[in-house]
Amino acid sequence: MTHDATVETSSNTAMTVRPKSSSLLGAWWGPAVWISATGVFAGTRASDIAGRETFFNVAQPWVVYVFLAGLVGLLTFGFVRHASLWMIGRPTDGILKEIPARLRNVGRYGAGQDKVRRDRYAGIMHWCISSSIIVLTVVTAQVALQDDTPLNFLHGNYYLFFSFYGDLFGLIGLIGVGMALYRRYFASHHRIRWDERVEDHLIIVGLGLILVTGFVVESARIIETELVQHPDWAKWSFVSWVLAQGIDSFGFSVSSPENPQSEILALHTWSWWVHVVLAFSWLGLIVFTRLDHLIFAPINAFFLRTDAPGRLAEIKDIEEQEVFGVGHVQDFTWKQLFELDACVRCGRCTEVCPANISGQPLSPMHLIQDLKGHLADVGPDIQMHRHATGDAGREVSPIAMVGDVIKDETLWACRTCGACVQECPVLIEHVPTIVDMRRFLVMNEARLPANAQAALENIEMRGHPWRGTALERTTWMEGLGEVTIFDGTQDYLYWVGCSGSLVERNLPITQSVFKLLRESGASFGVMGQEETCNGDPARRLGNEYLFQILAQQLIETFNSKNVQKVITNCPHCFNTFKNEYPQFDGNFEVLHHTEFLAGALEDGRLKPKYAVTSDVTYHDSCYLGRMNGTYDAPRQIIEMVPGANLVEMQRNLSRGLCCGAGGGNMWQEEIGERRVNHVRTEEAVSTGADQVISNCPFCIQMFEDGVPSIQPEEEGRIKPFDVAELLEAAVFGPKTDSNPTED
Amino acid sequence: MHLVVCAKQIPDPDTPPSAFKIDEATNSVVPAPGISPILSQFDGIAAEAALRIKESQGDDSKVTVISMGADSARAAIKQVLAMGADEGVLLNDDAFEGGDSYTTAKVLAAAINHLGDVDAVFCGRQAADWDMGQVGLLLSEELNWASAIIAKGVEYGDGNISVQRVLTDGFETVSTQLPAVVTVSNEFGEPRYPKLPQIMAAAKKTVTQFGASDLGLDPSDVGASGSRLKVERLYIPETDSNVEFMEGDTPQEQAAALVQKLQADKLI
Ligand code: SF4
Ligand code: SF4
Repeated sequence: MTHDATVETSSNTAMTVRPKSSSLLGAWWGPAVWISATGVFAGTRASDIAGRETFFNVAQPWVVYVFLAGLVGLLTFGFVRHASLWMIGRPTDGILKEIPARLRNVGRYGAGQDKVRRDRYAGIMHWCISSSIIVLTVVTAQVALQDDTPLNFLHGNYYLFFSFYGDLFGLIGLIGVGMALYRRYFASHHRIRWDERVEDHLIIVGLGLILVTGFVVESARIIETELVQHPDWAKWSFVSWVLAQGIDSFGFSVSSPENPQSEILALHTWSWWVHVVLAFSWLGLIVFTRLDHLIFAPINAFFLRTDAPGRLAEIKDIEEQEVFGVGHVQDFTWKQLFELDACVRCGRCTEVCPANISGQPLSPMHLIQDLKGHLADVGPDIQMHRHATGDAGREVSPIAMVGDVIKDETLWACRTCGACVQECPVLIEHVPTIVDMRRFLVMNEARLPANAQAALENIEMRGHPWRGTALERTTWMEGLGEVTIFDGTQDYLYWVGCSGSLVERNLPITQSVFKLLRESGASFGVMGQEETCNGDPARRLGNEYLFQILAQQLIETFNSKNVQKVITNCPHCFNTFKNEYPQFDGNFEVLHHTEFLAGALEDGRLKPKYAVTSDVTYHDSCYLGRMNGTYDAPRQIIEMVPGANLVEMQRNLSRGLCCGAGGGNMWQEEIGERRVNHVRTEEAVSTGADQVISNCPFCIQMFEDGVPSIQPEEEGRIKPFDVAELLEAAVFGPKTDSNPTED
Repeated sequence: MHLVVCAKQIPDPDTPPSAFKIDEATNSVVPAPGISPILSQFDGIAAEAALRIKESQGDDSKVTVISMGADSARAAIKQVLAMGADEGVLLNDDAFEGGDSYTTAKVLAAAINHLGDVDAVFCGRQAADWDMGQVGLLLSEELNWASAIIAKGVEYGDGNISVQRVLTDGFETVSTQLPAVVTVSNEFGEPRYPKLPQIMAAAKKTVTQFGASDLGLDPSDVGASGSRLKVERLYIPETDSNVEFMEGDTPQEQAAALVQKLQADKLI
């Protein structure tokens, strides 16, 4: 399904564009400072005898403890029920390694709500609600301690301060609820309504009622006690104080020795009961609804991977596996199953998904929800079967998870661009889950789109995915003079890659990088005819077996040639060498060409002398940007090109939209309303720039393909170039006829 | 039921033109550096046809893949094994080298007779290197079996095989009793992508190898010495193109000039 994406803008200036990093304190420091200040102020001002009777006017306060026991029981039951489903999954590697990093993640993403805040409105709303729940729970706990333990601390200045922040967070909570109500009922097509359920209304309306009844209870108490005896104390409960005066103005009867059963007391009793019952029921929703993220989201932050996001897990001892990839729900790891339960159906992932934006049959939110539903459907049977027979129980469910629950075309539409992972507030990792199911399709079932199959067969037969290319791996060297073949005596191996050498459009990029490297004085060589596919397309298309063979062979070749440092043309090669080869003991220092070139510019080894007067926009490739966090180097290069004026696209940096080629989609027919590259090209065109600059041969190809469709008139078309091509023009001057540019 | 697939390993037809070289002294193709030979595409399709029949017949049927060629042809055999064939046979002997379609058919026929219980043989409609398309027919002659060539569909039932053939102006369906030789065309459909369990099983299978003496062949009857076809000259044809722009102030005048020119060159 498709939805209009509402896009957030990020900063438009080139060098201040890094997403702000934040920490545990991020969401909290502001409020914390001024609440503490008020506390100090309260201390200096108030009388020290203030206090109150805690379970004022309530006849059976012990009932609360019965409710509490019930809630704890319910939560335990719910947790055990969930946990028993997760446990049908396979073991998860390394989950107890790197504990400090994991705890930091809990702080940053759990308490700090770092991801939630990527949507500012939702960030504020969510902070209001969550902080209010936390603080009011603490407030309630203090009342209980005061009342039911020998502790006696709710008096004097602290009592006044306590009254104040209790009210403050009640109010903050109401503001949050108001924002949520607005979003849910008045903002049309909002992503949170793409998969709306009854529970969503219960949660938000219920919370509103709890807060309101809380204030009513307090107001009634104030009318009965403080308003008469200590109006100066009452003011500290500033919301209830105002509300109390409002209620009081109706002239309801107040209790007195003659009239112990007043209307206000009745109001107090009733609203107290409603408040308490609602509050416990609401907390009970944790077991049955997406409110469970209260518990699961911080835990999932602990489980979050600590390695590079661009790395896919390897299938260890692949030859010994019974099945390959994940075709049955029990073949996911338990962490992958756990994640499903954390999803809050917020729609953020779907909103940024390039496939979904283009009307293609993939919505990561629905994918996660469908898997979650499937787990709930078949999990208990599988569990019982396991218990009884001890085998994996893959035959138990008559429904095929891959094929029926999750359609093949859904899995193939994914670009592995990581935008969904980047946005998910509860840190679900969709990409490994999707690729696991692709692995099943390809290796176990041999069910894949014809073009993807052709690309894989081509890799197997010819060592590259470009079927029918008329170029050789050495064609790009023509006219460049002497090209050194790497023999271990050079510092760097310049890795050109299949796309850099076998696709016509990319030869000028390869040549630009080569000339710039030579100009910078770097000691480097290339592998020429000996290069082969490093396996990235195979891995992302789901053929892990082929990937492992290719990776192991290439690592051997690198080691035998004494390769230590590699500069790559392509962010996919870069990611594979950098993040994935270490899985097979291939440890090399890997640079993307933009990183090397930015360094060479900085220390003066390259000097841009010629102006390239032009407005340019920059497209962050997924595998250099999101997957590896390199946002600055390419922008630094553009900044240093005299005359080039960078105009950012709306979706940029970590929010950049995929060009459409990732995840092996370079070699697939797209199905759906639009093509992703057309959407992205449109965004580039709408900046008004003359050139769209990128860093990846796939992106460049996708733009080259998209531009004529978006701008049918040849006149004034935007021109796709690699950063290196732009820099080449600045260092060596405009290209001459003997060395023409693409157009 | 025992089906045989004949598979040939050929130089990659996708070799970039700049890397395709011929040794005119020996009239042979020089293997392009870094480019591995592959299974002729039509033979992959023939394997697909055989495997579909095997699957429709159940457990006691099997597919054997036979290739005549150098040791490297094992890769082509493994590829068909990975698709699901059961056994592989490599026909490798110095004596087999330098043959033509006729000697190839002769060796293949000897191997098929040697296997004994074969019901049908599937070949590609032609090998994608020399594109001669003769081996299938010659093989049926050698075996004295019926043949149906250039198939786009094959069905089997009750000892009869029915073959949909591609003609230049349509299709025809023929049927015959087994044993028979069928050559399969690209219209049949794509060969399957091998499943990993089968790839791994194929990797473990041993390929049986036969030479001339195993098959009871006289070395002088096969290979270059038995060959009836002699290659006179192998060369890459020169191609040339000339562009001439038609003069004329208006499109009409240009068109008229073009017509004159074409008539003068006797092209229209
Ligand atoms: S990785 Fe990209 S294409 Fe795939 S589901 Fe996530 S957002 Fe969509
Ligand atoms: S997967 Fe994450 S981003 Fe997507 S709907 Fe669920 S919680 Fe939201």
